[in-house]
Amino acid sequence: MKTLSLQPLTRVEGHGRVEMTVQTGRLTAVRLVITESPRLFEALLLGRSWQEVPALVSRICAICSGVHRVAAASALESALGIDIPPLARRVRELLLLGGHIESHALHLFCLTLPDIAGTESILELLRACDPRAREGLALKGLGNHIQELAGGRVIHPVNVEVGGVVRLPPREKLEALLAELEEWSGRLPPLVEGFADRRGYPPATPALGTRIAVDCDDFLLTGRSLRFSDGRVVAGERYGEVLEERAVPWSNTKHSRTAGVPLLAGALARLENAAGRALAPVLPEPSAAGIHGNNLAQGLELIWALREARRLVRELLAGDADAAVMVAVRAGAGVGTCVIEAPRGLLIHHYALDDQGRVAAADILTPTAINQAAIEAQLLADLQGVTDESVLIERAGRIVRAYDPCISCSVHVLKG
Amino acid sequence: MKKLRLAYVRFTSCCGCQLTLLNCEEQLAAIDAVAEVVAFDMASSRPDDGGPLDAVLVEGSISRPEELVELLRLRRRAEILVAVGACALTGGVNVLAHGDRIELCEGVYGECAREKLTFPPQPLCRFVRVDLQVAGCPPERSEHLQLLGALARGGLPALPEYAVCMECRQRENLCLLLEAKQPCLGPVTRAGCNALCPSFGAICEGCRGPVTEANRAEESRLLLGLGLSEREVRARLERFSGASHEDP
Ligand code: SF4
Ligand code: SF4
Ligand code: SF4
Repeated sequence: MKTLSLQPLTRVEGHGRVEMTVQTGRLTAVRLVITESPRLFEALLLGRSWQEVPALVSRICAICSGVHRVAAASALESALGIDIPPLARRVRELLLLGGHIESHALHLFCLTLPDIAGTESILELLRACDPRAREGLALKGLGNHIQELAGGRVIHPVNVEVGGVVRLPPREKLEALLAELEEWSGRLPPLVEGFADRRGYPPATPALGTRIAVDCDDFLLTGRSLRFSDGRVVAGERYGEVLEERAVPWSNTKHSRTAGVPLLAGALARLENAAGRALAPVLPEPSAAGIHGNNLAQGLELIWALREARRLVRELLAGDADAAVMVAVRAGAGVGTCVIEAPRGLLIHHYALDDQGRVAAADILTPTAINQAAIEAQLLADLQGVTDESVLIERAGRIVRAYDPCISCSVHVLKG
Repeated sequence: MKKLRLAYVRFTSCCGCQLTLLNCEEQLAAIDAVAEVVAFDMASSRPDDGGPLDAVLVEGSISRPEELVELLRLRRRAEILVAVGACALTGGVNVLAHGDRIELCEGVYGECAREKLTFPPQPLCRFVRVDLQVAGCPPERSEHLQLLGALARGGLPALPEYAVCMECRQRENLCLLLEAKQPCLGPVTRAGCNALCPSFGAICEGCRGPVTEANRAEESRLLLGLGLSEREVRARLERFSGASHEDP
């Protein structure tokens, strides 16, 4: 018996490694070992005022800082029985889209494209004046620009508070953004098409895991229930009954399953679950490339996100510039849950407040924690027949990367 | 000009400081022209050659024995070690989880907790000489670019030693603290972000840590006057500064 180790995992966010057990030339077991240090966010929130939560939880993860902040504010609003003004909702949705665009562009062009092109990093691609790298970075910059406008700050945005948003983005900046978005509509599809080419990916078996995503309302990233690919639709606040979490000795992230089966969250799961609703694929079926189809699914979501961003900016421009975007908050006791789609998949925030509005319990479930069991199962399934050790190592890295794992998000966990 | 041998590593953190460098989309090619990026796991699969470094940028606090070993190794390799961001400078929000760490970990991981050998997150300066501290949670893109520019020229950037309010007044913003009666921490927070948040219309949360000679007593008095409780005032002032947070 021999253990092969892919360490460190590179071009992913966070620290981890893959351990593969090989017996008489055959891969028999795989572990994704997440070594990232626990940051105990749920513990540090205990006893703090509701007002402090959004700013603190955004620090779980930089790439997902906007969606964490929105999730916390929404969960607390539901705990306190608050409805936020419609324009504030639009600003938050725009912030989510900015994060989605930035995160997907980062993953596709900075982290995945080097694999497809056979290089170590995007820096070599830039040196070689690869147009995909240049355009991909520009797209990533667009996502950041949107986050800056809607969130007030690129990383750890400050515009979202419990009760709404601090302000509407200034009119002239929204107009400039609209022009920028229009200009992108022709540029984007050819960029995304590159991720549809099966030749860019290693051979793969079908993506494993019961798909899980927010049962979206009119906006792909938000809703009140969870939808599973096995047909179940479950109210968001009942997440604890359907997601079975357990700690495993080898990883600092807990494993999730449902009915004993691994779960798959993320762009591919969202598209499959929302099939025929929010957006119909315009390019080849993303699912055909196994888990690597998650890349194309992200590409398709980029096209959707730019379209939605244009709609939202138009709505914001048509809205009353003097309308309230924040409602007064009366602190008190309550319990609230928010289910939302982060770029890498389902994210759940859940809080209980005491009668003074202090956090009595907090629970945060992140997409990478949800995906961890599926990642291990997929590695084993896809790499079964591979005997060459260097190929094993190389492919394992690509499979893990296809999930776009966010390891710093995944290790904050605490269950009371 | 010889290229700067540079590494950007991270320990216990959120990746925000490193991501800020990757967010300099338009300058990445120029950075690549002056610096040889020896290690930057988040962005590159190039294997670290383990050789000497002109400079290492370090994000994050130290909370595991392996991290400490790696930090000491980096210190030996690097001419200049720069602590980047609140986590590296003071522990940042990581140190807010107070209480017995084993117990906290047990709360998280149940019986598996013993396997997770960690200690309370510590700033880098507890263990090694730090040549420069770049504040912020995260420090802005412009500060990353100034830092790399100065390092490429063989120097270190000058850091402002005044409060965010200075920059805020230069930008002629409405004062959120005095005029809008909101708990802005600008007066006690060190500048360098060009008063980013108040210029947007949101209060300064103090993410860059305390400015030297901060008048904390006066700030506390103002915040109490806005109706915050003593406990809330303390929590706000200590969020990014790593000051010991006592149990209420
Ligand atoms: S200083 Fe702030 S932005 Fe930087 S790693 Fe720490 S939490 Fe993230
Ligand atoms: S808004 Fe804040 S940073 Fe600006 S002058 Fe007032 S107190 Fe200072
Ligand atoms: S204004 Fe305050 S909170 Fe905002 S970036 Fe500057 S120091 Fe940080």
